[in-house]
Amino acid sequence: MKAKTVLLYCLFSLPAFAWTENFEFENIPNPPGVDPQVGAMGTMKDGRIAFAFHRGEVMIYDPSSSSWSLFASGLHEPLGMLIEDDGSILVMQRPELTRLKDTDGNGSADEYETVFDDFGMSGNYHEFSYGPAKDAEGNLYIVLGIASNGASMREEIRGEFSTIGELDRAAMSDRGNWNKNKGKAGRMYSRVPYRGWVLKISPDGSKMEPFASGFRSPNGIGFDAKGRLLITDNQGDWRPTSPLYDVKKGGFYGHPASLVWGKGWDGRSPLEVDSKELSELQQPAAGYFPQGELANSPTRPVVIPKGVLPSGMTGQTLIGEMNQPNLVRVLEDEVDGVFQTALVPVFNDSPLGKGNNRMAFGKDGSIYVGRTALSWPGSKGIMRIKWNGKPFASLDKIKALKNGFALRFSEPIDPSTLGKLAVESHTYKYHATYGSPKVDKQAMEVKDAKLTSDGLTLTLDIGGLKEGYLHHINMVGLRTKSGGKILGANAWYQVVKAPR
Amino acid sequence: MKSILFLAASMAISQASPDGKQLFTTNCSACHLLDQMVVGPSLVEIRKLYEGKPDEFVKWSIAPERKRDGAIEMPSMVHVGEGGLREIYTHVMGISKEVKIKVQKGGDPYGASPTHTSRPQVQRIFMPDAGPAAIAVALDGDTSVCWDAGTSRFRYAWTGGFIDGYPYWKRNGDGLAKIEGEIRYLENSSPFEPLGERKFLGYKMEAGLPVFRYTVAGLDITEKPSAKEGGDGFTRAFTVSPAPAKRLILDFSSTQDVQYTSEKGSWSKNILTLDPIDASEFTITFSLK
Repeated sequence: MKAKTVLLYCLFSLPAFAWTENFEFENIPNPPGVDPQVGAMGTMKDGRIAFAFHRGEVMIYDPSSSSWSLFASGLHEPLGMLIEDDGSILVMQRPELTRLKDTDGNGSADEYETVFDDFGMSGNYHEFSYGPAKDAEGNLYIVLGIASNGASMREEIRGEFSTIGELDRAAMSDRGNWNKNKGKAGRMYSRVPYRGWVLKISPDGSKMEPFASGFRSPNGIGFDAKGRLLITDNQGDWRPTSPLYDVKKGGFYGHPASLVWGKGWDGRSPLEVDSKELSELQQPAAGYFPQGELANSPTRPVVIPKGVLPSGMTGQTLIGEMNQPNLVRVLEDEVDGVFQTALVPVFNDSPLGKGNNRMAFGKDGSIYVGRTALSWPGSKGIMRIKWNGKPFASLDKIKALKNGFALRFSEPIDPSTLGKLAVESHTYKYHATYGSPKVDKQAMEVKDAKLTSDGLTLTLDIGGLKEGYLHHINMVGLRTKSGGKILGANAWYQVVKAPR
Repeated sequence: MKSILFLAASMAISQASPDGKQLFTTNCSACHLLDQMVVGPSLVEIRKLYEGKPDEFVKWSIAPERKRDGAIEMPSMVHVGEGGLREIYTHVMGISKEVKIKVQKGGDPYGASPTHTSRPQVQRIFMPDAGPAAIAVALDGDTSVCWDAGTSRFRYAWTGGFIDGYPYWKRNGDGLAKIEGEIRYLENSSPFEPLGERKFLGYKMEAGLPVFRYTVAGLDITEKPSAKEGGDGFTRAFTVSPAPAKRLILDFSSTQDVQYTSEKGSWSKNILTLDPIDASEFTITFSLK
């Protein structure tokens, strides 16, 4: 591929938006002719950024020359990537985890080595494959999406067929009668091995351990800075709104379709297990992205490196989002050892746009955002976002207290604006129905709001926290002492455990 | 392109007092349709970009740039003159009012991508008559094969082109790729089927063609498909390691009748028998009938 590319810089400068005063947003030129829906990204040792596209190209962008080169092609819906120390690229494609190796050093892969493919495929479009995320020991974690009853299985499948379910194999792959039968399949189904599971794979790919279950459409897997395995999932059946999970070995994370592949499962159809039983079985979400407000289709969590955002955010987790024009930052907290989070928007009301599927960081501190849609709401192409180093007001930390929250800001807050602060809470229904309305939504009275003398830490007394409730802290009306607004002025804290 | 421009310019000049509609027809209509993108954007889209901005429209038309991928750069319309361009602007805004963009059917906007059109080519995608982990390989401009990574076996060969992946790519994988051409050979099962289950190990690229690797019963197999010299067929080069201790009997039965030839071994219809000395490396030619 010729490296010569027409540069199509689209420099935004919209002073009306506060983010644009601190960040430069720029679309980088797409590789010529290629469908620029981005499925995976990674930063190479030399600072070039590798992208995998919808139609299977792996291409490398060199920021120093704004040019593209083709590393590999012909992959099947790559949605995850991990760059290895020797320059090989691990790619998760629909059918397998593949290692792309450039053994002759000519700049393109000549070996497509199958690292792991021991999982089922029914041929249903919704069985996407995500990952890998690598732990400190070098083990690889992948997570497998489940099938949608928007389509049948194919007649020819890979892997064992689970007979658990109302429809037999012939009916599950009967396209002609699917509309008549699909109600009996479950809205989402897992009829081939380990769909809806996280699989832990040994570094050499030879051993696999089914690690955790209960996933639906987990388009985001990654370790945070403290080694927690974070997975996002999409709103849907058994997903009242999109959740963020801190995944532990043996955990069940809410969507029942995958249970049929559990060791010792009693053979009941997941459709017959009631929500009370599932509710007791499931691990709680460590965070919720309220639908329509923060995120509808959250994507991959990545750790914010030093210099990309103000220092108070270094090491925090940043998550992409397909459907709302923003990214999401994770503020972590822990109560009695239970990890729980507040989620805040990043680059809301900015030129960012939708479809933010994957992120990678340039050596110069740029954030590269790759977009996709895959026919859902989204977009395509790549945006580069660069902080200009100017500080701005943000919520950097949050801590649950017995009576409310302590919030830590990056700039001193004007105490006269504290009256503008509003808190409300709601919970959700956990059920087979798609999504959930906000349940038991109520305003929480701010009984007391105290700032420390430096103006940076705010203690809120709202009369206690409610376990199992999402607490929305609206800081839109707050101002800094210099009159500035808070960028990303809403936080949604999911209280799993309230301090006693 | 220059001669067309010159022609357009001379035509525009020859018009005594052209109105916007005429000027549009002469200078613009070849590339800009009312409600769908062809070479350039539709008038509906142009309306969205320039409604209430006649000056910007004129400026762009005089000094256009390449703005979007997959589209060519518009030639300058400086020859029409500012007055004429303003007439065209009024015409375009008038006829595009309250018109909706027609959804284009069938066309793959990225069909001309070099990663689709170069030959040979490997593309993993949902394929008909194969398992969900299929691999399509264009051996050359005419002959293509489908190989199945799920079962580590050759599925079929066709001639007449490669694939149209758009039924899959236009959405999220809820369609299968279409074969361009006709299936000429469809293999019933793996020739190594009697030895047991196979495990897929991936492939290496050699001059753009994949060399598939898999194991069966402790044997490491490689299989490289290539186009047959002179066309109308293909070859498959195998290596088996370690060399088998016993005779290797390989059944290449197919739903279609083809002619099998190889330098090594002996054929009985579609069954190849190889002595151990010949079995570590052999190539079979499949001549289509």
